[in-house]
Amino acid sequence: MQEPFDPGQIDAEPEAAPPTRTGFLPITTNWFDRVFVGIYLFVALELFWMRFLEQSIPLMVCHVLAIALAVLIVWRG
Amino acid sequence: MRSNTVGWLMLAPTIAILGIFGIIPFIYVLYVSFHQWNPFGASPDMIYNGANNFRRLVFDAEFLTSIAFTMKFAFFAVISEVALGYLLAQLFMKEFPGRGFFRTIHTLPLIVAPIVVGSVWRLMTTPSIGIIPYLLKSWFGYDLNIGRDATAAFALTVIMDIWHWTPLVTLTLLAALLALPKEPFEQAQIDGANRRQIFWHVTLPMIRPAILATVFIRLMDALRTVDEVWMLTSGGPGAATRYVGLHIWKIVFPKTDYGYGAAISVIVLYLTLVMCWLLYVALVARRERKRTF
Repeated sequence: MQEPFDPGQIDAEPEAAPPTRTGFLPITTNWFDRVFVGIYLFVALELFWMRFLEQSIPLMVCHVLAIALAVLIVWRG
Repeated sequence: MRSNTVGWLMLAPTIAILGIFGIIPFIYVLYVSFHQWNPFGASPDMIYNGANNFRRLVFDAEFLTSIAFTMKFAFFAVISEVALGYLLAQLFMKEFPGRGFFRTIHTLPLIVAPIVVGSVWRLMTTPSIGIIPYLLKSWFGYDLNIGRDATAAFALTVIMDIWHWTPLVTLTLLAALLALPKEPFEQAQIDGANRRQIFWHVTLPMIRPAILATVFIRLMDALRTVDEVWMLTSGGPGAATRYVGLHIWKIVFPKTDYGYGAAISVIVLYLTLVMCWLLYVALVARRERKRTF
């Protein structure tokens, strides 16, 4: 005989929400938010550099700075 | 364990569709954006050119102008649609004769394809045969010619977008308003709140999620608008209504510069995400933080 359906069983073990924290960013974030912001700023910095600074400073410097900034945001943001 | 399996199984079709029609094309566009590619040219192969497409893009005055016009268009269209949509939703909350009929008829623009909307508005605004220039001329003495007047052309694209998409906002906000509980409103009235106070302190906070969702949807749509504007003005006069979607179309199809078009598409997606995220932070995340601390 088939077991009766228990609706409570489906939500018996709800998953915990991803851990959030407040770093130097002005909002409470989880790791995905920080990766997202890191990528945003990486792209913005690269475009800004190509437009205004690449004539005098090589783009490689921007790569290093942008990656460092992204890591800092993911780590401390 | 069982709950996870059921959940993933139910999500599987959506994830599959999202992957096939969303993620994989995006990765391909990203890949193309780092190449020079003209499949109909003398050398139809993709040639890797690093960040050159993006370097070209930040110096491209036409692209930067089209971005500025698109932002202006999105700003005016979305603000007007949300304001008008809210007023119409409030109107449809009230009892009046023919409410059901008007509720149905006001959604009709939603079922019309954008390309058709564009061609209908084109017919209505063509100087020699259109009803709108005729009425404006006979009533106000105003000579409407969107082929000559850049401001009028821009305003008409905004008005056309408002005409087409305000019903969507109305429907969403009407659903949100109908779902609100009555108790907070009764409580506010008992406490002596006037209509303005009820709007700012009860209605608006309670329908904020619906407004936010609507603004996101409309903002994303407005930033990628192509077909309506293409039919109405073709981006003219000059480049006055050459929004970024039209710019991409012109780069990719008439000029067959697929790599550069892909780079612009990626940047437009990036800008859309940034704007939506900033809006989310400004309206939701900061508020939540304020509540936490």
